[in-house]
Amino acid sequence: MTDKAEPRYVYGVVRADTAAPAVDGIAAAPLELIADGDVAALTSIAPDQYLEVGREELLTHSRVLEAALDKGTVLPMRFGVVLSDEETLRSDLLDAHHDELAVQLTEMDGKVEMTLKGVYDEEAVLREIVAEHPGIAQLRGELEGKPEAATYYERIRLGELVAAAFVERQELDSEAAVEDLRLHAVAVAVGEPIHERMAVNASFLVERAKLDEFDRALDAIGERKAKLIRFRVTGPLPPHSFVELGVAA
Amino acid sequence: MATAMQQQPYRGGSGYVARSSSSGLYDVLELILDKGLVIDVFVRVSLIGIEILTIDARIVIASVDTYLRFAEAVNRLDLMATETQGLPELMEGITEGGASSKTKGMLQGAKEALFGDDEEEEAEDEGDEGSTRRRTSSSTTTKRRRRREATGSGSKRGRSKSKS
Repeated sequence: MTDKAEPRYVYGVVRADTAAPAVDGIAAAPLELIADGDVAALTSIAPDQYLEVGREELLTHSRVLEAALDKGTVLPMRFGVVLSDEETLRSDLLDAHHDELAVQLTEMDGKVEMTLKGVYDEEAVLREIVAEHPGIAQLRGELEGKPEAATYYERIRLGELVAAAFVERQELDSEAAVEDLRLHAVAVAVGEPIHERMAVNASFLVERAKLDEFDRALDAIGERKAKLIRFRVTGPLPPHSFVELGVAA
Repeated sequence: MATAMQQQPYRGGSGYVARSSSSGLYDVLELILDKGLVIDVFVRVSLIGIEILTIDARIVIASVDTYLRFAEAVNRLDLMATETQGLPELMEGITEGGASSKTKGMLQGAKEALFGDDEEEEAEDEGDEGSTRRRTSSSTTTKRRRRREATGSGSKRGRSKSKS
């Protein structure tokens, strides 16, 4: 029986006729569905209204969602959504957004998120930049052998040119990878690089039936750029990057 | 922070792309903290520390410090050598702590983004040229600027935002 007064941690939204995954939630609390018609919140009782979080809780959230994905369609909540009790959950999440949630569940049927990150081999990309920009090569040559103290501003200038070329390069490489993969995806969400050496950071919404061809396209890109970019893909994942709640009516 | 789990390729693959079907925290951290459904008013979980380290993990390319590092890296290149790492070395290096290219984990990159900001502000105060920001770190409450597009090869996304 659900305890109605307890605060509820919400992992995501699923169809009401699915079973809760057989994994534990945060703080080892069991998972429970709270349903409103055909739409249900996947929840567990939160131990406290203020929950201190660490790596464990983040991992649990992620694993609950992946277990839910195994059982059917799931719209993931962002990490850390706790509603004060069951009634609030029903009124402010399920009732307020019922139709939107139902529509998105249908939209996400049979689709998963695949995330792609690519990281440059620093030396390789710098070589290409020097090869492609005679001005950079020349300035580099002028600085060769000169003491650091005497060339502070020249080095800043060189670095500035390289940085600009690098950003340009990254945008081209990101677009090229995305263009290739977009053909096999329903939707794409392109992010900005998270760190300096990141070449690509993008998420794709892919139909399960098309995962094989998506895969082959990935391999082709990986092979083509093998000396320059190291790719890493994660998935299938619940569609974190492709769900959204509007303001409640 | 543990590195992401390396799984066997779960579908036949050529080996050029690292795949994990089961996610380590690194792979999904950005997703679960920054994406997904949210009801703003009701977030009650304290995210002290976690939020600062991760949601703010933007890079700042344009700073004097970064320029100097780029210059140093370019100056270090041995332009006579034509081969960089071969594939086997690349595959070995596919973890966050990998090999010579020192891929930073996201948290470490975030730390540098934070401290990098401090240095950049100092540089701007001193009036150094070239310290224009091309990419800025944003606050935790700013939504990530992602371009989201439908590809047209599948179903179009239409969504009603209000209860009918």
